[in-house]
Amino acid sequence: MNSKNKKMVLHYMWTAKNVVFMIFMLFLSAGMFAQEKKQVSGTVYDNTGSVLPGATVIEVGTRNATTTDFDGKFSLSVAVGGYIEVSFIGSTTQKVLITAATKPNIDVRLQNDGYMLAEVQVVSVGYGTQKKSDLTGAISSLKSDDLVKGTISSTEQVLQGKVAGLNIIRPSGDPAAGSTIRLRGGTSLTASNSPLIVVDGIAGVDINIVQPSDIKSVDVLKDASATAIYGSRGANGVIIITTKSGTKGVSVTYSGLSSVGYVTDNLDLLSANQWRAYVRSTGNTDAVDYGGNTNWQKALQQTAISQSHTLSINSGKTDSGFRTSLSYLNNEGVIKSTGLERLSGNINAYQYLGDNKEVKFDMGLFANVDKWHPLDYRIFERSYNLNPTIPVYDANGKFSSVSGTLYENPVEILTNRKVDNERHRLLGYFKTEVKFLKDFLAVANISYEHNAVKGSTYKPSYAVLEGITENGYAQKTYTEFANAQGELYVNYNKVIDKHTIGALAGYSYLENIYEGFGAQRSGFVTDAFSYNNLGAGYNYRLGDVYSYKGKSNLVSFYARANYSYDGKYLLTGTVRRDGSSRFGENNKWGTFPSASVAWKVSSEEFMSNTKGWLDNLKFRVGYGVTGNQDGIGEYKSLSILGVGNDSYYDPTTGTWSLAYSPKQNPNPDLKWESTKQLNIGVDFSLFNRITGSFEYYAKNTDDLLYTYEVPQPPYLVGTMLANVGEMSNKGVELTLNADIIKGDKFSWNANLTLGHNVQKIEKLSNPTYKTDVIYSGSLHGLAGMSGQYSQIIAEGYPVGTFWGFESAGLGADGKMLYYNAAGDKVLDTALVDDDKRDLGNIQPDLTMGVGMNFTYGNFDLGVSGYGMFGQKALNATNMMLNDPNRLPTFNVPDDFLGSRITSAPKYSSYWIEDASFFRLQTVSVGYTLPLKYKNSKLRIYLMGENLAVFTSYKGVDPEIGLNAQDGINQTGKLDETGLAAPGIDRYNNYPRPTTISVGLNFTLNN
Amino acid sequence: MKIKITAAILISMLFTISCTNLNEDLYDKVEDGNFGNTPKEVDALVGGAYSSLRGFADGISNNYPTSEYVFFLNETVSDEATIPTRGTNWYDGGQYQDAQKHTWKTDNRLILSAWRYNYTGIAKINSILYQVDKSSLTDAAKAPIYAELKALRAYYYYNLLDLFGNVPIVVNFEDTSLPSNSTRKQVYDFVEKELLDAIPHLNSNIVYSKFTKNVAYSLLARLYLNSEAFIGTARWQDCINMCQKVTGYTLTPDFFANFATQNEKSPEIIFAIPYDQKAGTVGNYMNSMSCHYLHKLTISAGGNDYPWSANGMCAQPGVYSAFAETDKRRKCMVAGDQINVATGQVIVMDNGEPLTYTEEVTSVADAKENQGVRLGKYEMKAGEQWERDHDFVLIRYAEILMMQAECYVRMGAADLAKPFIQQITARAGEEMPTTIDLNFIDKELLKEFTFEGRRRTDNIRFGTFFQSWWEKGPTEKYRAIFPIPSTVLTTNKNLVQNPGY
Repeated sequence: MNSKNKKMVLHYMWTAKNVVFMIFMLFLSAGMFAQEKKQVSGTVYDNTGSVLPGATVIEVGTRNATTTDFDGKFSLSVAVGGYIEVSFIGSTTQKVLITAATKPNIDVRLQNDGYMLAEVQVVSVGYGTQKKSDLTGAISSLKSDDLVKGTISSTEQVLQGKVAGLNIIRPSGDPAAGSTIRLRGGTSLTASNSPLIVVDGIAGVDINIVQPSDIKSVDVLKDASATAIYGSRGANGVIIITTKSGTKGVSVTYSGLSSVGYVTDNLDLLSANQWRAYVRSTGNTDAVDYGGNTNWQKALQQTAISQSHTLSINSGKTDSGFRTSLSYLNNEGVIKSTGLERLSGNINAYQYLGDNKEVKFDMGLFANVDKWHPLDYRIFERSYNLNPTIPVYDANGKFSSVSGTLYENPVEILTNRKVDNERHRLLGYFKTEVKFLKDFLAVANISYEHNAVKGSTYKPSYAVLEGITENGYAQKTYTEFANAQGELYVNYNKVIDKHTIGALAGYSYLENIYEGFGAQRSGFVTDAFSYNNLGAGYNYRLGDVYSYKGKSNLVSFYARANYSYDGKYLLTGTVRRDGSSRFGENNKWGTFPSASVAWKVSSEEFMSNTKGWLDNLKFRVGYGVTGNQDGIGEYKSLSILGVGNDSYYDPTTGTWSLAYSPKQNPNPDLKWESTKQLNIGVDFSLFNRITGSFEYYAKNTDDLLYTYEVPQPPYLVGTMLANVGEMSNKGVELTLNADIIKGDKFSWNANLTLGHNVQKIEKLSNPTYKTDVIYSGSLHGLAGMSGQYSQIIAEGYPVGTFWGFESAGLGADGKMLYYNAAGDKVLDTALVDDDKRDLGNIQPDLTMGVGMNFTYGNFDLGVSGYGMFGQKALNATNMMLNDPNRLPTFNVPDDFLGSRITSAPKYSSYWIEDASFFRLQTVSVGYTLPLKYKNSKLRIYLMGENLAVFTSYKGVDPEIGLNAQDGINQTGKLDETGLAAPGIDRYNNYPRPTTISVGLNFTLNN
Repeated sequence: MKIKITAAILISMLFTISCTNLNEDLYDKVEDGNFGNTPKEVDALVGGAYSSLRGFADGISNNYPTSEYVFFLNETVSDEATIPTRGTNWYDGGQYQDAQKHTWKTDNRLILSAWRYNYTGIAKINSILYQVDKSSLTDAAKAPIYAELKALRAYYYYNLLDLFGNVPIVVNFEDTSLPSNSTRKQVYDFVEKELLDAIPHLNSNIVYSKFTKNVAYSLLARLYLNSEAFIGTARWQDCINMCQKVTGYTLTPDFFANFATQNEKSPEIIFAIPYDQKAGTVGNYMNSMSCHYLHKLTISAGGNDYPWSANGMCAQPGVYSAFAETDKRRKCMVAGDQINVATGQVIVMDNGEPLTYTEEVTSVADAKENQGVRLGKYEMKAGEQWERDHDFVLIRYAEILMMQAECYVRMGAADLAKPFIQQITARAGEEMPTTIDLNFIDKELLKEFTFEGRRRTDNIRFGTFFQSWWEKGPTEKYRAIFPIPSTVLTTNKNLVQNPGY
């Protein structure tokens, strides 16, 4: 430390000392004067100006106290020169000095208290609510203000970076593409790892039925003690969304947003002139210059103009209320023709009946329509392949077409294939609540969700892709999914002295039905009909018409008991019994118990001396068992005959008939994946400014479902779905929220979430199903890499472990060298399987979300970002593009020319990169116009999204999906039978746009 | 009070509509116990045994006898075809190069697909046998169905005997215990016995594409022809005897009628796998795997009415020149300049060079785009789809003739081979040779059955398999059978790997 720095430090220490001294003096002075009494009366208001009944008014330093009446009024005799302290749960405490001059009638206005409000915040825990202070499980709660704002096409985006341990990964910038949600590392190899979504008590619905502007609060149930009430669907956590309903008063709100999105990062490939310079320098005579000057990546892109509008009406009286909203959004993608258009509407209404509101009827209706054009992701690879001298259009104004493998004009693919998809979503529910016998509340809830997708495709007669010509191809598909639920439960709540008892018992019945049909034909004489006249196609095949239907049901019984003593010792126990038609004959019913306890240390007598700084300290421990039944699907346990492409020729008639064949190896033992989870948590609140939670969890999932390769013979088919493996996830999470400055004029709030998870496959085999290693991360579909895998799933490693040869860099001749097991540098021809090693994995060491909000007068500024650190990614795009055989036909990256690489692409550590990143997600600046009329508000704001990404990753974007596309097969369909390929960047980078938007929120109160 | 009653009614309604029934209701599928009760349903079951002859593709491997990878395997390990790596294409982990150079390892996917193709067919037949057994048909009605199914199953076991040798024999659908190997001799005896047992119940007539008596005789003849290679015991006379039982077939005057789109009309075909893309058949796209990407221009003006080709498999150097110029069968390969039908000019490739298929192939590891003469045996014409309609020929009458000729030569009675060779050479437009010896038979087999997926077996029987050719050095004897695929061995510890691997 140099002398200058020393001086600075001393200066700060001196300043700090003075501040502490002054604060000390302030506290001391409070009790120094005692004088004569005076009768003081007044009214207490909350921060919105409403009167506050039940607030405590106490003369400081005495037992002299009272509470405000129904009109917020109080009266108290106080010593002159003393203080009265007015407090109310959820508000800041306010002190008022009483002097001889104090008016006999004073008004006290209390402000909301960050920490206290959080503690009384009501949290949905499934089939009921609890005060946050009474929770025993790990639950993160967000209010609508906390959610991510901006150009949002998919509702889960509002949670990105907001909940410790919950990763929302957007694999693409396509507005029509969803996100992957993963809590605490996920629990399954094959089943969905998405949390269960509960909207207004309806479990298992599509999150996109709710629009962000309709969300009142989101509660994320993270540990098993919290999610066990959802039994066989709770293993990946539960996201409970509560929507807004009529609040007191009448208001009309409009929000609008317009934005401009553009691409900031493309791969640096040779331009036409760079390509020409290369050809000249090498004297290559094979090279064909087509005379154009095309940046194929940019040829696919556009500036995306998006807008959204939401209008809502709210009305509430003492015993009834409603809220209705209508919204429209049109989010364009930065790739031409892509985007998402959505119209959605929502009505919530409730009515109380009875003198004491004994009965409540509550209904909700949500509906929306999405329209989008699915993208053929193969255009990205083509845009990297095509020679930059090929013009987009030829001399005749037609799309230029140069033959070759993977060499179709991507602009032509994008323009001429017409795919129009439409999705309709509907959710309706009707809830009846009846209070009876004083302490009981019975709830009956029936709901219906319907989700339908209509698809229409037309490929014109001249379209050729990967060798397939169909002379015009039209297809229509329709799929629908319905989810009907009936639920009945009874809540009991009783307070006897210091004992608070709660109980819940319930039953639910759920029925899922899916069905669909489709038809296709090819061979059209004219392209005039597009997909509107399938009958005009002359070429038709046996499989051109199909339909299907299936059903599953889930029957459940559940119960919960809560007990707390004096608000200090809290106890919760739950149990759920689920029976599912999907489970095998031998395992129809599963039981999912949990128990948790909490101790609110800060409420103990012996902690009274910490009151000044430690507002809350609570320890929680929970353990529970939850399940995941998503991976099973319908009918997997049965021996089933079906008709597929199994036609056979009947020589006597010369015609074809359909054969019936067994479709799968039946497994009557199929059951849910079972996750046992221990959670230890601490909640704390310091200085009335900092609140936080720290969680440690250890979860172990067994009976992992996996489609095992089984020996043929004796099995009918080569694979079988079975419950075999075991996986563990252990981790810690930290959530911090600080009100750094809380002033009337200036405020500064910051929040931080951190998550760390370690995953390991514990077991893959049992006596029946044996596998040493599962090869995953398929590279199939990359030129020359058929049947090759980049990852392993093996005991002792996490999912997504890259396994292969370690590169030793380039040799003198530009040939790639590798380390063999002995550590020598060798050529690839000398490598053997034993030289392969662990090359890192896709699991991040740390995930982070940060946010800061400032207000200054009527201005507000918000900044938020998220990041993932320590994960590896295979840059397969780079691997394939750095191929010495590509030039001059195929384009290459600028870097390639200086790289000296002479070896053909081969998967190795050379192409694996650190994909750590931090993304500056949003920055917004707003100004709220003070309106004279009844608290009405108008806020205008400017927002930037995805403004910067900090990363060393060399590809287009380091945020790579967990379920990246697997190989695409010859017919152009996604090969979904192979294993997912997480963390592999393989040409499918739909760039994430940087977006600048302006918005307006207007609330008119009456 | 009224309110409470209303609410109580609402709640109780909920209970009545729900239940705790967890049975799965089936709508678009049928449980196996509920099928096979009418003759039509039984037909639909037995039909499945034939449809599985076309193979399948899944997440593990493509298992088509007509293309990837069963056909690829049989062709690339023999001396007639190659799948050279061309630039970045057709490397695929070196699996074709390893097959070509006889350096395949136990994890080669071509080998896995051959195993899975046959065992999936066998498992299907076992399950159909189980279904038929449970059906309400009379025993008398069941007998011919059993015979047909078991004979077809023997066809798969014959393939396994040829490819892998010491394979497990599984015949019971309900038995899911892990089987162990049988010896090659046991598999040989099993195939012979199953076929002989089935013959009395099989159809005596010619029924196209079905397993009839004639098919069983032909397959037994194949078995006896290769008996020495399989189990070390020569059975030339048994082969001739079986061949002589095959009746009702003649050679078609036009050799290529056997490979036309409508080849089901050929009087020469004894057994074939029928295809019709309109009936949803898949896997028959070998015609798209061989020619150059631009080959479509030779068939359809502008190329829009013929599928793209993948520029893969071609003939090994020396195959094309083995044919006399006058040999009509030489057209089974596409060679030389390729003419654009729209312009009449030679097609120009992207690199500016003419598209001329050459017999020369620089190397299996590094071939040029236009190198290698292409497979053109099956008809190619405008209007075709990716999935072709021609039936894939498994056994045709020419083989019956050639088997007898070969056996007579091997038994030292070359004169007796003459009438058979006479028919073959006459149709090909070739002269009768002065002497018929094994070398002649070997070359004639190559020319008659080019790219019909059976050359490997001939190479092994003639011993050429173990000699050097093109880029391949000498082959050790143990490679006459393939190893049991590594993934099969890891999942079934009861199996023992074939010796040498």
